[in-house]
Amino acid sequence: MNRWKKKPAPASQPNKRPTLAGEGFGGRLGYFIGRSLSNIRQNIFVNVVTIGTITLALLIVSLFLLVFVNLENAAENWSERVQVTAYFDRELSPQEQTALRGRIAAIPGASRVSYVSRDEAFKRFKSRLRGQETLLEGVRPEVLPTSFEISMKRASRDTQSVEAFVTALKRLPGIGEVQYGEEWVRRFNTFLNFMRLLGALLGSFLVVAVVFIVSNTIKLTIYARRDELEVMALVGATRFFIKAPFLVEGIIQGGAGALLAMGLLLALYEGFLHNTGNFLTFNPATAGLSFLPIEYVYAIVLAGLALGFVGSLTSLKRFINV
Amino acid sequence: MIQLHNVSLAYQKDATALNGINLRIEKGEFVFLTGPSGAGKTTLLRLLYGALAPTRGQVLIDGQNVSRMSPAQIPLLRRSIGVVFQDFKLLSTRTVFENVSITLEVLGWGRADIGKKVMHTLKQMGMESKINLTPQRLSGGEQQRVALARALVNDPKILLADEPTGNLDDANKNQILNIFKEANVRGTTVVVATHDRRLIEHGHKRLITLSKGEIVEQMEKEAGSGESA
Repeated sequence: MNRWKKKPAPASQPNKRPTLAGEGFGGRLGYFIGRSLSNIRQNIFVNVVTIGTITLALLIVSLFLLVFVNLENAAENWSERVQVTAYFDRELSPQEQTALRGRIAAIPGASRVSYVSRDEAFKRFKSRLRGQETLLEGVRPEVLPTSFEISMKRASRDTQSVEAFVTALKRLPGIGEVQYGEEWVRRFNTFLNFMRLLGALLGSFLVVAVVFIVSNTIKLTIYARRDELEVMALVGATRFFIKAPFLVEGIIQGGAGALLAMGLLLALYEGFLHNTGNFLTFNPATAGLSFLPIEYVYAIVLAGLALGFVGSLTSLKRFINV
Repeated sequence: MIQLHNVSLAYQKDATALNGINLRIEKGEFVFLTGPSGAGKTTLLRLLYGALAPTRGQVLIDGQNVSRMSPAQIPLLRRSIGVVFQDFKLLSTRTVFENVSITLEVLGWGRADIGKKVMHTLKQMGMESKINLTPQRLSGGEQQRVALARALVNDPKILLADEPTGNLDDANKNQILNIFKEANVRGTTVVVATHDRRLIEHGHKRLITLSKGEIVEQMEKEAGSGESA
């Protein structure tokens, strides 16, 4: 503002019609953005508090989402184990194999059907007993049954679908004993439903808490600046003119908070979360926890923007009544 | 310019702040409103800039009925009225320059014009060397001069002041009074609510005394005689 000092205006020209600042919506928007940026600079403390609150709140929500998404992934992996096995006490001829495989695959719910010959079964048995091969001395492949292993489609891995599938399978001529680990499937599905319910409950509590905390923080920061609202109204500012810089400020706070939260989440993830996932999957093939899918990241940033905007809007309603 | 017809205002049912006020203030007048605390001075001023609506009666500013204005029209009314208070109501996070420029930003003026006009007004107040300071670093008299600059920077038709010198010493009171007089000379109608006898003795042209929400006395200095209402 020093430039006003160097170039003082001629002393007498008060009543000339002034040129207006940027006309129309674009010009006004420019003014409002400039105003909110200098407001942020002048009220740096409350802005840091607000952005910090939004950051922490969204970080907690996104951490929860990260864990939940990974649990869902893990559940997907575990459900690969839902498998139905039909045993035969003799070796099937290639023709029989092809015919049966076709009929099994035609039952709704079947995804992959593979034949396990006696030799194949023996090989697996041997590999399980690695180091104790002596136990297998004198044992021949003929003692083992042959089988069809049928994995289930993703949507058909719940208890009822698997049971319906097994019933249909048993009706096929030539099928004898069928095993599918019914107890395991039942327990797994119960666990999955429980987990989803718990996730939905916890998630909604978290979201409610976050909205409550953030909107109240914004309310307090606007309350701290109510003199500004009063002065603006006193010099003849319209409601929109008073509100707009606060709304832009809210959007900036929400966006900054969301971006910071995502940055922190990524740092946490890269720091130590990404290789702690094996306990969840019990599966050495998966590398560990995965980061949030990009759609979730977009959604959280959008939620931050909305949180800042709506929080400011509802708080302003309360204080503009001069 | 300002007309009140039978104006009454009750904050609660049996707490009447103003009762049957009839008042006419012409363009270019300089009026002091006086009376004890609670007489209704502040309430009367608040009616004039549309912060309150009367329970009964009409408030006309420049022929417009303020009591019937929609919330959207009030801001437009206030653009032709400057208001100053005992507690100045300056924004502590903004500089002197920014505090004064608010008035013109609201009107949508461009930066260059705002700069010229604000500097011009601050010079009239003798505050041009303090434009980059925040209000906390100014004395009470200086703060009130900034508040006056904010109220006068757009050459309002009316200037309302509510106990403008309540927090100031004598030297500052005179300075503020002179600013009121200058604004009045330039054509602004000035209404000052105060119970400061000294201010009234030094400056008064027309004096309206309120008590318990009613006008109890009106005096004109030039005429030299009292005129009861």
